[in-house]
Amino acid sequence: MTGPFAGLRVLELADEKGQFCGKLLGDLGADVVKIEPPGGEACREVGPFLDDVPHRDRSLSFWYYNTSKRGITLNLETADGRALFRRLADEADVVLETFRPGYLAGIGLGYETLRASNPALIVCSLTPFGQTGPWRDFVSSDLVHMAAGGEMASSGYDHTDIPIAPGGGNAWHMGGHYAAMAIMAALVYRSVSGEGQYIDTSIHEACALTTESAIANYVYRGEILRRQTGRHHAMTTTARTQFLAKDGNYVTALISGGLNPRNVKSLADLMDVYGMAGDLRDPKYQDPATIAAESSHIIDGLLADFIASLPAEEVYHAAQARGFTWGAVRAPEDLLDDAHLHDRGFWKEVEHPELGCSFVYPGEPALYNGSPWAISRRAPLVGEHNREIYCDELGLDAGELVILAENGVV
Amino acid sequence: MTAKRALENIRIVDFSWVRAGPWATRWLGALGAEVIKIEWPESERGRLPSSTTPQGLPVNLNTSGNFNDTNVNKKSLTLNVRSAKGLDIVKRLIAKSDVVIENFSSRVLRNWGLGYEAMCEIKPDIVYVSMSGYGHTGRNHAYTTFGPVAQAAAGLTFQSGLPNEAPAGWGWSYMDDTGGMYGAMCVLTGLYHRNMTGKGQHIDQSQMVSSAPLNGPALLDFTVNKRGSRRQGFPPGNRAHWPGTPLLNNYRGPTVAPHNAYRTAPGGYNDWCTIVCHSDTEWQALERLIGGTPDPRFATVAGRLAHQDDLDTMIEAWTSTLDKYEVMTQCQAAGVRAMPVQSAEDRVDNDPQLRHRGMYRPLEHPALGTFKVQNAPFVLSETPAVNTLPSPMIGQHTREILEGLLGFDAAEVRAGFADGTFWPPTRPLFPYQEEMLR
Repeated sequence: MTGPFAGLRVLELADEKGQFCGKLLGDLGADVVKIEPPGGEACREVGPFLDDVPHRDRSLSFWYYNTSKRGITLNLETADGRALFRRLADEADVVLETFRPGYLAGIGLGYETLRASNPALIVCSLTPFGQTGPWRDFVSSDLVHMAAGGEMASSGYDHTDIPIAPGGGNAWHMGGHYAAMAIMAALVYRSVSGEGQYIDTSIHEACALTTESAIANYVYRGEILRRQTGRHHAMTTTARTQFLAKDGNYVTALISGGLNPRNVKSLADLMDVYGMAGDLRDPKYQDPATIAAESSHIIDGLLADFIASLPAEEVYHAAQARGFTWGAVRAPEDLLDDAHLHDRGFWKEVEHPELGCSFVYPGEPALYNGSPWAISRRAPLVGEHNREIYCDELGLDAGELVILAENGVV
Repeated sequence: MTAKRALENIRIVDFSWVRAGPWATRWLGALGAEVIKIEWPESERGRLPSSTTPQGLPVNLNTSGNFNDTNVNKKSLTLNVRSAKGLDIVKRLIAKSDVVIENFSSRVLRNWGLGYEAMCEIKPDIVYVSMSGYGHTGRNHAYTTFGPVAQAAAGLTFQSGLPNEAPAGWGWSYMDDTGGMYGAMCVLTGLYHRNMTGKGQHIDQSQMVSSAPLNGPALLDFTVNKRGSRRQGFPPGNRAHWPGTPLLNNYRGPTVAPHNAYRTAPGGYNDWCTIVCHSDTEWQALERLIGGTPDPRFATVAGRLAHQDDLDTMIEAWTSTLDKYEVMTQCQAAGVRAMPVQSAEDRVDNDPQLRHRGMYRPLEHPALGTFKVQNAPFVLSETPAVNTLPSPMIGQHTREILEGLLGFDAAEVRAGFADGTFWPPTRPLFPYQEEMLR
């Protein structure tokens, strides 16, 4: 079986803004051809690097975001480069690009031009602020998107006003998810109508959409929410949900809907297994008013002491087994020890033939029983598939490829 | 002329509730699918409890603002799926639909007798997307999640915060929003594959598992270089690197300085502006804006990283005299990456870009009134994603669906209300339901 997008050809002209979107499509089976400037795309310069040796083929960040792609180099600043791109685009299903607004049209490769010879083509631009508007030419980064999009206004601490941007490059993930969704919708439409279209995706808008109820609280009630340590933004300071466990790790322990006689009894059952229920079995806690009056004793006293007496993983599994929606706060590397992920076959061995070994990569967000997700190959080396694509597929002969290389085209 | 829609003629049976599932189907509705939300007032999660009911309106099943924004573009059918008659109606609906989507815990639909195989007997090419906390397979499939728990268990929470402090985490259910994205993408890929091959499938999406791939570079740093994230200076707050700790990449882009949030005038809770310089050229442009004599310690990226505290103090002395939008405007005019920290109010009322792009457009809801609703972050040239319907009032479309789609007559609809199939007999009807049954 192959992925749902098997047979689709995607041309990716993308930097850090769009490489994740290309990966989403490639791991679902599309033949994604990453088109880089001669010498390689700048994301190859982002660390960490294999064994901390900086090299354009050793960036682990580049490796991760460019799985299941083939790679060619092409200089769009040359007339020969543009002509080659036109030939590639005539045979492609999707073009994904992250150039500054207007750049492709300015060099004669805008959507209208490409469509004229390939009406079924889908072109998706994924840019910081979209193709129109007063901020369309502004420059950005992951951090500044998290500021403008509202992520930072919602994340931080009880004890300081400093807004915190969660790490990991998630502004690019947010933009990539929405762009992928739009491309997928256009593909479904094309599968029925045969028509392509142009998609203008804004990372700023994607980020602005990704703060759950913050917008609704303002629109419907005029409320501006405040940051809270490790838990939801809220109008006023709420009860803490993050507790330090015995091993120095934290546990996120949410009491859904707040304390009530029923969940206080369940909490006592859980804590009693470890002899840590304290006075929670006292019948007085069957009275909601007493629970409310004693909530600090229950949460900051008994619950905090219980969690402090055990390793975070043990609290997590013991609580989940008794119906509490709690989680250990894990560092990313802890996931390698997660038995559930192993049960689901989440980790993938990806061959790196140039190094003579394979490495473990994270796998699929969802299991498809009819068209499985798969990493079809590791990220391409710089220009790795030039010969395969220009000669074997486009029909250039070896001499022509040499001349193109000599002239800075590939 | 009415615009074409990407999901024209696609019908979705939507059992999803709370946030992640409804956020998925919201977009499928905006793309043109007919989304039939199956609900039951006695076991509703999403409409209540509501902390987003406008002041002055009663809190009831139809007045949650957040529910409205999360459930635009859908119809509501109230149905007791735990009765034999209700389940039979579900099967008749599935027979006429393209997609079934739900975000119950892992065994619920199977326990109803509606596992994937059973659905295939009703509709052989059905696309079935389940969105559960941990997925339908794996030893912890019965575990439950909220966004913050998935985020914690999958490594996202850990990567947010200041070094030597508790994690700041994410101030909302990021994985409800993002889980919704994956749910929608699963439906779209399933539909594409069905259209190309004629075959449906079951796609088993998990909120916790979907979180894990969002840590890609950090995970590879461990699986390849054996370097974990439990280390000095990690996570580095808003910086790319925390001064005085080993110089290591922190998984959000190049290691550069400045890279921080700075106080702006007048010093209110959300008066901050972020500034990032990716090159000497960008730094020199910022230095010219700030004025004064250039500090030679800051001439190189190595120097700026080594003296980051002094660098940030110097920048903040400048930003704290200016409004955050003024900092942004001056920096952007000079080619420097800078954006203000924007609250919800800033985004809805003060952001000229979002205004220009029509991000928040008013939509009238029969119980709430007219409020702004969030729009798609993309423009599809041929098949625009648009919010055509406000969120449904509970059971608003019950009669329309039963009669129009399933061929019930008016007497059968009334009988179903009387016998508890379409509404709990002891629960008062809303006036629009009384009207519907007249």
